[in-house]
Formats: sequence, structure tokens, C-alpha cells
Amino acid sequence: MALFVSGLSHRNAPVELREQLAVDEDKLRELLRDIAATNVVREAIILSTCNRVEVYVVADVPGEARAVMFRQLCRHRGVEPTAVEAALYTFAEGDAVRHAFRVASSLDSMVIGEPQILGQVKDAFALAQSCEAVGPALHSLFTQAFAVAKKVRTETEIARHAVSVSFAAVELAKKIFAGLEGKAVLLVGAGKMSELAARHLVEQGVFPVYVTNRTWARAQEMARALSGTAVPFDELSTALAAVDIVVTSTGAPEPVIRRETVQRVMHGRRGRPLFFIDIAVPRDVEGTVDTLDDVYCYDIDDLKQVVDSNIRERVREAHRAEALVEREVAKFLAKLGDVEVIPTIVSLRERLEAIRTGEVKRTLARLPGATLETREAIEAMSTAIVNKILHAPITKLRESSRAGSPRSWLELVHELFGLGRR
Amino acid sequence: MHQTLLTVAIIGYVAATGLALAYLVQREEVLHRLASLATLAAWVLHTVALLALAIHLARPPLATMPEAVSVAAWVVVLLEIWIERRYGLSVLGAFVLPVALVLSLQSTPTRTLIGPTLSGAWLWVHIGLALVGIAALVLNFAGAVMYLLQEHQLRGKRLGTLYYTLPALATLDRLTYRTLAFGFPFLTTGLILGVLWAGTAWGSVFTFDPLALSSYVAWAVYAATLAGRAAGGWHGRRAAYFAILGFAVLALTLGAGLFLPGKHGG
Repeated sequence: MALFVSGLSHRNAPVELREQLAVDEDKLRELLRDIAATNVVREAIILSTCNRVEVYVVADVPGEARAVMFRQLCRHRGVEPTAVEAALYTFAEGDAVRHAFRVASSLDSMVIGEPQILGQVKDAFALAQSCEAVGPALHSLFTQAFAVAKKVRTETEIARHAVSVSFAAVELAKKIFAGLEGKAVLLVGAGKMSELAARHLVEQGVFPVYVTNRTWARAQEMARALSGTAVPFDELSTALAAVDIVVTSTGAPEPVIRRETVQRVMHGRRGRPLFFIDIAVPRDVEGTVDTLDDVYCYDIDDLKQVVDSNIRERVREAHRAEALVEREVAKFLAKLGDVEVIPTIVSLRERLEAIRTGEVKRTLARLPGATLETREAIEAMSTAIVNKILHAPITKLRESSRAGSPRSWLELVHELFGLGRR
Repeated sequence: MHQTLLTVAIIGYVAATGLALAYLVQREEVLHRLASLATLAAWVLHTVALLALAIHLARPPLATMPEAVSVAAWVVVLLEIWIERRYGLSVLGAFVLPVALVLSLQSTPTRTLIGPTLSGAWLWVHIGLALVGIAALVLNFAGAVMYLLQEHQLRGKRLGTLYYTLPALATLDRLTYRTLAFGFPFLTTGLILGVLWAGTAWGSVFTFDPLALSSYVAWAVYAATLAGRAAGGWHGRRAAYFAILGFAVLALTLGAGLFLPGKHGG
């Protein structure tokens, strides 16, 4: 019995190929049923996202199972198998475990640490389970993968820092103001991007929201969408005095917020910082405003630079996460090793116990006058003999499984004790 | 006995400082945990060392400048441990422990007493209050340094490791304000008692004593900063510069007390 994973992902296959192979939920059910009918595959889970199509399989003959899986997959999707074959990677046993853990932990994702993949893996698992394609091996592998993914998320900062411009702006605001509860925001211009940034800010407790726009109707519309207040465009500087964060995104060819205006506004603020998030191109806020005390201004390029730093942070954290995954793989394999020898240990016990009870019965039948004490003594003695005989082989099996090479020992025990074919 | 304990405590502070600085750069949580542990252990040893010294001398270990500075280091570490827990400022140690370490090194025994006659409870109170004030102002200094570093990150827009480790500007500004507001009354009362005591013991308030003169300057800097903050809306960068200036004068004050001949001993 062997575990392997085989598939293609954003790492080695172009999007044209990935989208050809991607399977929707109904097709997946059908596919899992067809595969089960071949009797070549014992357990299977199919993970299909826009970045990867992978099969996790437990089978007696891995090579055959892999061929069957992809033949079926290509047939269902009407894809030429040779093109797929060339892009496939395959990991077996320990490497398959590592791959499962890395994928679930988002270490193999296009954007490291992105949160969707874990949900997708969970869905794939649930779907395979509902098709009765999951057995004990994949069950323990995937439940452990979910646990490892959670551990990676909490023990490293792999998903901590924003990789989108609007979230990066929110994080910057937090580094200036500490908490954002009760901080006021003003939106100048009513673009999609500024609306998104405003929504993120509101989620962090920013309140109230003011919206201003050259077109009054548009300002009102957006204010309604964000439960904010529309402010006439010519009252911009009054509004500036009242808020802490300003998001600008007008289509104006010239800056709409001048240094002089901000300087005047800052006088009345008694040192309360003002943070400009300028996502307009050309820029809405004059470039020199952040030479003023307590004024911070990030334009779209600055924000992209912040995102770049954040991505470097994630890569750095990913190294720590890889080490964590490596430890978890070792732990899982050790446990799995025991799982492999346990059936043999159980049948060995059963075999000797059967011999013992049979012999005790026969002996007692020949001793009709035996007292209760004698009977108990015979039971105890025979049990002790069986345990003593079992001790050495069981210990040896456990040791060999921990050392990673239980096969020959399993064969030997089966042969010696006549346990039949494994 | 107390000397050995003190040496071990100082070794503990060296380890804690190294670990805290390593944490600042590496950001490995395990380094922070080890640094906290080393800090706590060294501080407990320091406490025992000071108690042993007090028993050995049969008086509070505050009568000579080195003794007093060692106690100041002890208060600094106590405040560091407390504020770090209270505010969740895991990087605080990296900025405070180096100062505490330098202070704790000034513990070579000397026979020169701070007062010619160590009589009267007022002298103990003067020294004790001044030390608590100084310790709070060490934290004030650390807060100011952290503020300026974080401000530099945010203004420079090239975010380095400090951007990620240091807390928000508002948090750091609050820390510098609170430590000043806490330390200043102690410093002021300590100084007033010193002046009053000097008037009776030395005959004059304005004798030439380097420590006393320098401490008036430090007090003036802190008084100006506090007034500026409370009434003039000072904050952020300006307040941080003044905190650093005040601390520089304070360091000179302690240096004068330790190394220059004067009425505080040397």
C-alpha cells in the first residue's frame, strides 16, 4: 500500500493547461465514482483550484493508479493526455506528506500565505469524503495537514502583513495612530479603489466617514454606500481639519490638496497627525506636504513599495514555516510507521491468544477435579508465557517502523507465525 | 557574598541585553522569551544582592554614588519589566537594558559618602526619590529613541525591520509623555529635598557641586518639556528631541557624581 500525490500547479504548468484540467464539483463526484469502480485506487482526494490540479492517492500499485487517475481526468475534460503527462509532478510517501502540509499551509501558493487555499483543501477533502473515497490513511493525512496549516498561521507571521495596496494602507495607518477606533476618514473622489480602502478602514473601527466629490450626486451616492456623510467639494479644507485619514482618488490633472492648505489646517490640529493615502494618478496631494510635521503621505508607488517589503517579510517567515512543516512531517511519518505495523501486531496477538485459549481448554478438560485456584494458575501461567514470547517480536516491529524499514520484519513475522498473506 | 551576587546579576544583564538586541534584529519569539527570562532572573539576583549589601552595611545601600546608581539600575529594570508587560512592548528591553547595564556596572565600592554625615531621614528620601525619577526618565529616553526610529521609517517610506517590530507612533508618544509625567514629580521632590538638606548641612544652597549644578540644568530641560507638552501642544518629534537632551544632561549629572570631586563624593 503506498501514498502518492501527483498533479500540476502554477509552478510548472501554464494557465492554459491548468484551466483545461480544472474540474467542477459535479464532475469531481462523477470522476471519483469512476475511479472507485476501477478497483485500482484504495483512497483518493482530488484538489482542483485555479492554481493547481492534484490527486492524493493511496493504492497498492502507485504507477498503475496514477495512470488510471489521469487517464480518467483527461477523458472527462477532453484533454490530450500526453500534454498533461509532460507537466506532471509526483511525490511519494514522505514527500507526499510534505507536499500536502505545504499546500494546506499556503507555502506552495502563488502569493505565500494567502488564506483561500486551506478552505479549498478542506472542500476537496469533504467532497471526497461524501463520495466515500477517503479511507484511514488520507483521513489522518488531511486532518493533520489542517492542524499543521493552523499552526503555521499562528506561529509564524506568514499571513500577517498585507499584500494588497489597500490593506497595506490600513496597516500604515495603524503604525501611525495605534488603534483606528473613532478616527475619522475623508474620501476625496469616489473611485473603486478608495471605496475598498474605506471599507477596510471602517472594518477597523474608523468612524465617521466623510465623502466629497466634484459631482455632488456621486458624493451622496458613495456616502450612502459607506454610511457616511457627503461634504460639498468647496468645503474640502474644513473637512481636512476634522479628519485623521484622507483617501484621495480624483481624476484631476492637478493636485487638489496643496501644501499651503494642509499647513493652514495643521495649525488648528494641535499635533494630531494627518495621514494621506493618495491612490490617484496623477497625484491629488502635492508631493511636498509630508515635509510638514505630523503629516504622512503615501502615494500609489509608496504603497506598492510597502507591499514589496511585506512580501519580503512573508518570504522570510516562509523559511521559518518550512522548518516547522519539516518537523511536523517527521512526527507524522513516525506515527504513520506505527500505523503500518499495528495490524500485524494485532493479528500476532490474536494468533497466540487463540493457541493459548485452545490449549488451556483442552488441558482443563482433562483435569475435571481441578480447583478454582488451579484453573486460575493455569490461565495466569499461559498468559504470562504468551506475553513473554510476544515481547521481543513486538518491540522489534515497533523499532523497525521507527527506523523506517519495517517491511522485511513484517514479512518475517508473518512467515514465522503463519499469519497468512498481508 | 553580595559582590558575587552582583557580578552574577550583571552577567545576567549582559545576557538579557544581548538577547533583547538579537530579538530586535531577528524577531524570533524564542529570543524574546529568553530575554524576558534572563531579565527577570538577573533582576531577582540584583534584588538579593542589594538586600545582602544592606544587611552587610546595616543601612540602605544608597549612601555612596556607586550604590545609588546600582539601585537606579534596579528601578530601571523593574520599570522595564512592568511597562513591557503592561503595554505589550516586546522590543522595549532592547532600548532600556543597555542603559540599565551601563548603570549597573558602576558599582565599584567606594568609601566616600554622599553626605558628610549621613544623618537624618531626609537624605535617604532625597536620594530615593531622585533615583525613581531618574529611572522613569531612562524609560522616557528609550521611548523617545523608539519614536524617532519609527518616525524615520514612516517618513522614509522604505520599511525595514524596525517598522515591523516597533509599535505605533501614537503608542510611543504616549509612553514618553507618561514616563515624563511620572518621573518629573519624583525628580522635583528629590531635588527640593536635596536643596533644603544642602542648605542646612553645607550651609549654602549654591555651593559648587558638579552633580547639583548639572541636575538643575536637567530639571530645567524636563520642566520645559513637560510645560511644552501640557500647555504648548508639544508632542512627537520635538518632545522626543527634548527627552533625549534631558537624558544627556542627566547622564552628565550621574557621571559628574561618579567621577568628579564634589560634595556628592566621587
